Amino acid sequence: MYAIETKSLTKYYGKSRGIVDADLTVKEGEIFGFIGPNGAGKSTMIRTLLNFIFPTGGSAKVLGMDVIKETKEIKKQVGYLPGEVDYYDDMSCGELLRYSERFYNKDCTENINELAELFELDLKKKIHTLSLGNKKKVAIIQALLHSPKLLILDEPTGGLDPLMQMRFFSRLQEENKKGTTIFFSSHILSEVQKLCHRVAIIREGRILKVENMEDLRNNQFRKVRINFTGEVPDLNIQGIINSHQENHTLHLFFKGDVNELVKSLGCHQLDGLWIEEPTLEEVFMHYYEKEEYR
Amino acid sequence: MNILRRELKANRRSLIIWSSILALLSLLMMALYPSFSDSPDKTTELLSLFPEEFLKAFGADKLNMGEPIGWFALETYFMIILFGSMFAAIIGSSMLSKEEDEKTIEFLLAKPVTRNHVVTGKLLALLICLVVFNAVVGIVTFIGFEAFAGDYSRMELLRLIAAPFLAHLCYAGIGFLLSLFLTRRKSTYSVSIGIVLMTYFLGVIADLSEKVEFLRYLSPFYYMDASDIVSDGRINPLYTLILLGVSALAVGATYFLYNRRDITI
Repeated sequence: MYAIETKSLTKYYGKSRGIVDADLTVKEGEIFGFIGPNGAGKSTMIRTLLNFIFPTGGSAKVLGMDVIKETKEIKKQVGYLPGEVDYYDDMSCGELLRYSERFYNKDCTENINELAELFELDLKKKIHTLSLGNKKKVAIIQALLHSPKLLILDEPTGGLDPLMQMRFFSRLQEENKKGTTIFFSSHILSEVQKLCHRVAIIREGRILKVENMEDLRNNQFRKVRINFTGEVPDLNIQGIINSHQENHTLHLFFKGDVNELVKSLGCHQLDGLWIEEPTLEEVFMHYYEKEEYR
Repeated sequence: MNILRRELKANRRSLIIWSSILALLSLLMMALYPSFSDSPDKTTELLSLFPEEFLKAFGADKLNMGEPIGWFALETYFMIILFGSMFAAIIGSSMLSKEEDEKTIEFLLAKPVTRNHVVTGKLLALLICLVVFNAVVGIVTFIGFEAFAGDYSRMELLRLIAAPFLAHLCYAGIGFLLSLFLTRRKSTYSVSIGIVLMTYFLGVIADLSEKVEFLRYLSPFYYMDASDIVSDGRINPLYTLILLGVSALAVGATYFLYNRRDITI
């Protein structure tokens, strides 16, 4: 049984595209990243899995159950962290979590208290007084409190400070060791890298590629900008995928040994050198588009 | 039942405000009754200032303001049925739409509930709110009658207390259905108040002019007209059926549509 299994899942909102022919399988016990730029269809995929929206084609199963017919059973075992967090204004954090708990018909007091302590959340506070980050903590706790078998997280770290983000990730890893499958979407590559076993890359509604994290790590892309004091020289180094220059500045998209690059730059007079991790968008533009043409 | 409990709590405040204001109004009007009934000439004099059609529109031609039931029917009944309908339409239309407006619907639907559970929980909460509202206003009105009215028929009063409830149910049902199309809370308020007032004045206009008499059938208020109820000595069963039927249809349509709806916020 797969934790998530979709077969040519398609969703159109009228004429506008959500996802097209998405085939996706997430194994039980995996941490699976779902990455793509904004508007690629990540949230559409998640909303379909949770039956907030109905697919226009194809089918999907979560934990072996049909997402439409057995949605109630599915949700007993799924925790969902929405991307945009908003809760009932009149409730305190504690009241919201109690409200959430009652849907599962089990006592989760221990879990709630433990999680509140971990994330330093004051349960007595009214939700409408909370900052975005603190609201996110409430959302995380309500997703975890019933010890779900599958966690679905939509852009999970937005708003959390680095310390909380770290605690959250290590908590996720603990949950995963206990057997929880984790499926999460993100547009930040580095976020995915830290955590995931496998990633699917989605663009314009289509799943382009599913890769092992290992393999993706070996594809180390770098965005390089070099300011030369004089004219831009001809560089002959392996791994330059794309380059363009303006005045004395050279922009490179580089996939190769950075040491080689730095060594060969050593013979030139430089004003400045920037080596950065490219955004996902850029990886798509330079890498995946080419891949399609091949 | 979790949702029902939550909704009752969330609507508690507006229920208390609306029902206590109308209950107090009703009590106040009954407290004024003795001073009017003491000087029936003044009342008649006051009424003669208005054009005949106007009085007809409000049923004053069939009712006697010198009697407690007539007084209540003319002075208080329309407020209870009109404002109560506004209350019903407002909470009816906000029940489902507020979840989408406040973006809480993703939280709710991620819990182990079906859409039918959500609708049923909210529907029950709505029904309970209306029952409580009408019970509070009805009981206080009864107290007002006992204290100030002197001689009156309790059966007639009971009919006038029960009739607004039927109109309220109709508006609540319509509001409930509307909330599927109006997912912004602000617009639900104005649209529900607008619909109630529009249908109310439609009924008034239909009474004023014979040319547009047919319009009255579009107004739920017409079906529960106080002067008809008093002069017929009953609540028209066909009209009752119409109001309940509209309400049931609206609720049925809500279930049907909500189960097929894409929730995108």
